[in-house]
Amino acid sequence: MTEIIVVTSGKGGVGKTTTSASVACGLAKRGKRVVVIDFDIGLRNLDLIMGCERRVVYDFVNVIQGDCTLKQALIRDKRLENLHVLAASQTRDKDALTADGVRRVLDELIAEGFDYILCDSPAGIEKGAHLAMYYADRAVVVVNPEVSSVRDSDRILGLLASKTQRAEKGNGGVKEHLLLTRYNPRRVASGEMMSVDDVKEILGLDVIGVVPESPDVLAASNAGVPVILNDESDASLAYDDAVARLLGETLPLRFLEEPKRGFFARMFGG
Amino acid sequence: MMTKPADAAAPAPAIDIRFGQVGLIQVRLRSTDPGAILDELTGRVASAPLFFQRTGICLDLTLLGRDPQLEEMRGVMDAVRRAGMLPVGLVGSSAAVEALSAALELPVLAPFRPQTQTIPVVQPPERAEPGIPALMQHQPIRSGQRIYARSRDLVVTSTVGAGAEVIADGCVHIYGALRGRAVAGARGEAGSRVFCQEFHAELVSVAGVFRVFETLPPELAGKPVQAWLDGDDLRVAPLSS
Repeated sequence: MTEIIVVTSGKGGVGKTTTSASVACGLAKRGKRVVVIDFDIGLRNLDLIMGCERRVVYDFVNVIQGDCTLKQALIRDKRLENLHVLAASQTRDKDALTADGVRRVLDELIAEGFDYILCDSPAGIEKGAHLAMYYADRAVVVVNPEVSSVRDSDRILGLLASKTQRAEKGNGGVKEHLLLTRYNPRRVASGEMMSVDDVKEILGLDVIGVVPESPDVLAASNAGVPVILNDESDASLAYDDAVARLLGETLPLRFLEEPKRGFFARMFGG
Repeated sequence: MMTKPADAAAPAPAIDIRFGQVGLIQVRLRSTDPGAILDELTGRVASAPLFFQRTGICLDLTLLGRDPQLEEMRGVMDAVRRAGMLPVGLVGSSAAVEALSAALELPVLAPFRPQTQTIPVVQPPERAEPGIPALMQHQPIRSGQRIYARSRDLVVTSTVGAGAEVIADGCVHIYGALRGRAVAGARGEAGSRVFCQEFHAELVSVAGVFRVFETLPPELAGKPVQAWLDGDDLRVAPLSS
């Protein structure tokens, strides 16, 4: 059984692509066959985060338009052999995506026997975002603990509940999960940032993961190594927990408290 | 705007043709006297204006026991319209009804109905109108969504998000948090009210009188609250326990 998971948010810059890359790697590390698709036509980013930007020959739009086969366009990850990337086109615009075309590519991937298809949605609620969510079985809604991101996520959750194939056919709807990123416990404690509980209450959904704000995320993006592969980082551990919860494990949330600072750090403002 | 994927490539078609069922009030004529019809219908409309005003009805001719003339029917339709209802079709099965249908430009609905002259008439004229159950919403109403309960109450068992709108011709009941907009009495019913379990509303309106909450008064924020019309004033107050 293939599961289609959309990673979406409404708002831009909250960490959709970072999350798509890390969740895809986390699933692949657990032995699942995974393909991650960049739906952001014209603003290709996922290949950079995955570190395969120089290996992109054919892309998603080429497959849809029949310029190449799916196999030619799938880029196998060099670190995890059961992980594949389908890059977005950088030169086309979003009208190159069609519902039929997306359906055909997804069907072909399902026939290939992938366990998970991750759809990395563009920001906004336009066509690209719509098509990324339309065929999804589950949705990971990435949200930052601030009011505009929460508002946009609420909008996206409304669309997931009405403008997806599962919602239209009435077969149970899309299963929704919240993932908080850029969480800064110190700023939450000082009241500058919304807490996990605030976000949960407003959106009325349970949280599948809380990723702490960390310089490791930016460093990982620039290096083209998804942050989940950096074993020393809190952000990596938090993503790994989220993947485990996505697969049905029950784990307590971590990194919700400010890390304890040592005596010298406190004395000298480290 | 999002488009449905089926028409994502081509421009959106101008129309969709669907087969659907709609509830329709039937007015069975036992006479074609326009004066009598106007009197009786006006009484009905006055008893439940929200329900009957500008409601589509079909005229059932089967109880007349004869085929009315065109001029008689024009009189009947005029009376119905003056009572505030809108005739949208005829019910009858004779060839004469077909001819009337063409002349009046009204469709014949249910032409298969058998002649009913022999069926005894059991139609207590003073029967109370059955209540319409409230429109129920169990999913959260998300930002950007709009729910309208026509001619009835709206019950939301979950939350109404910021930027969402819940509207009813009757009352609005929210058994969760109200963070968006709530509009009761959308067609002017001044007795309608808004109730919510946890008040954080952006806007509340009853029968066209509204109040915007730029800042939430501390005595209302997060509390169970109701809003109602007191004369021309919109009152918003905690529900006393």
